[in-house]
Amino acid sequence: MVQRGAYERYVNRFGWFCVAPSVLFFSVFMAYPILSSLYYVTRRWKGMSNTFIGLGNFVRMARDNVFQAALTHNFIFMIIQVPIMIFLALLLAVLLNQGIRRFRGALRLAIFLPSVTSLVVVSVLFRVLLQTNGFLNNVLLSGHLISSPIGWLNDAFWAKVTIIMAITWRWTGYNMVFFLVGLQSLDTQIFEAAEVDGASKVRQFFTITVPLLVPIILFSAVTSTSGTMQLIDEPNILTFQGGPANETMTAALYIYRQAFYVNFDFGYATAMSYVVVIISGILAFIQLRLLGGERSAK
Amino acid sequence: MTVVNKWSPGHVIMWLVLLVCAAVSVFPFYWMLNGTTLNPNDVLRGLLVPGGDFVSNWRQATTTYNLPLFFTNSLLIALITVLFGVVINAMAAFGFEKYRSRARDRVFGILLLTLILPQIAIVVPLFRLFSFLHLLNTRAAIVLPSIMSVFIIFFLRQNFKLFPTEIMEAARVDGASELSILVRIVAPSMRASFASAAIYMFIAQWNSYLWPLITILKDTMKTLPIAMSSIMNAYTIQYGALMVIVCVSTLPVLILFLTMQKQFVAGLLGSVK
Repeated sequence: MVQRGAYERYVNRFGWFCVAPSVLFFSVFMAYPILSSLYYVTRRWKGMSNTFIGLGNFVRMARDNVFQAALTHNFIFMIIQVPIMIFLALLLAVLLNQGIRRFRGALRLAIFLPSVTSLVVVSVLFRVLLQTNGFLNNVLLSGHLISSPIGWLNDAFWAKVTIIMAITWRWTGYNMVFFLVGLQSLDTQIFEAAEVDGASKVRQFFTITVPLLVPIILFSAVTSTSGTMQLIDEPNILTFQGGPANETMTAALYIYRQAFYVNFDFGYATAMSYVVVIISGILAFIQLRLLGGERSAK
Repeated sequence: MTVVNKWSPGHVIMWLVLLVCAAVSVFPFYWMLNGTTLNPNDVLRGLLVPGGDFVSNWRQATTTYNLPLFFTNSLLIALITVLFGVVINAMAAFGFEKYRSRARDRVFGILLLTLILPQIAIVVPLFRLFSFLHLLNTRAAIVLPSIMSVFIIFFLRQNFKLFPTEIMEAARVDGASELSILVRIVAPSMRASFASAAIYMFIAQWNSYLWPLITILKDTMKTLPIAMSSIMNAYTIQYGALMVIVCVSTLPVLILFLTMQKQFVAGLLGSVK
């Protein structure tokens, strides 16, 4: 009996030994920053010194037009880009899985390929391709699709389109892979039955495929939404520091610039990051409720 | 599946959609590869046939833009992160999964809570911490915060779940210590999962942007993404040399993907399991 207790203690100690390094790293580089942000959020920096201002940073935020515009841009990117990308990824997955039989592997590989690029590389590529005298404008001009060059990078509207195009290019194939895996796990008999009943392919897509893939669509929607809330590489490099005139400024980029680029105002930056965290949390909750709830109701 | 009439309008549209999407996906790769052979003007214009400037672009990338230095920095940082990361996260995953206890389950729950936390939310306190430790502008600053990854622990834990506990029991009866069970019996059969975790961590670190951008100001410490970012901030840009750097920084990930597709995708899919 005594020996058994000693053995269990040994096993338990080994369990702690295994998790200890990770828990240590977690404490120092994750838990401590999160907890100490409670201190930063109440402070206002002036040069090297800082003073307690309570909720003053949040009051300042309410009057900060650039931050509000930045959040609005995040929402614009999210509301337009996420549905377009998910629909496209889903469509491509269905076409690859059920539509064709030849070149399936090659096409899947091609469409997934953008996922190997880093966000910085995507930003660099699109910034060069979309110069006013760049490749895309040249193609469109020579095809007589436009009469004068489009300001992909320096027009308030087109710069947003540019960001959306870049993100869609980078992430559609990535999300498609999730949908392909989901499709392969579906029972093909359902589709055969629907075929026999005379349901069209389009009808099958909306009444069978989409409902059955809701969990994966949900996963894609939540991760993509949180991705668009964190956009920073693209507006910083592709449209050059949130330009033109802050028209593609995003919350994360603005926070970065407030803390490390223009003002070194750590307190204000922390307060703004709280808002981003809360908004991301609420959005994830809503999505899980909307799509997840619908699923359990059925 | 029923046989669709081969050249029905639906069929043609379907192929058109797929081929256009595939072409749009692949074109930038061709364009950047071809761009390494062009002079800056032709890169901008988007000339689609190869030119003769590859050697001068390469020279410019390696001398003016210091490509070998940034490449080495990136590679070193990514490899060190992977080395420590896989060992430490695998140990944690093993501990959490095979030595369940109330206390450890609770700790794991706390780790999971931070899984969806945006990086921007902790960079300020993290920066203050590293500045306090006098570790800004060092490789350690980039490596240390990315070693522990809740996602990797979660992913590996799912995989450890599949390892039969009975085998561990049998080894215990034979008198094996817990450590030798992990090192000699469990770890060897987990190689594929470790490979997925390693690939995932390598790519995440190889591509990381925000944190290195904050901590690294010294030119000699810059990684490839930071170097590209500062090139794009310059007043004049040598586009041909830039294309060389872009290609070189995409190549390792592309090679990983093409040679280890299965583990590569397993790492991506780890999160939906």
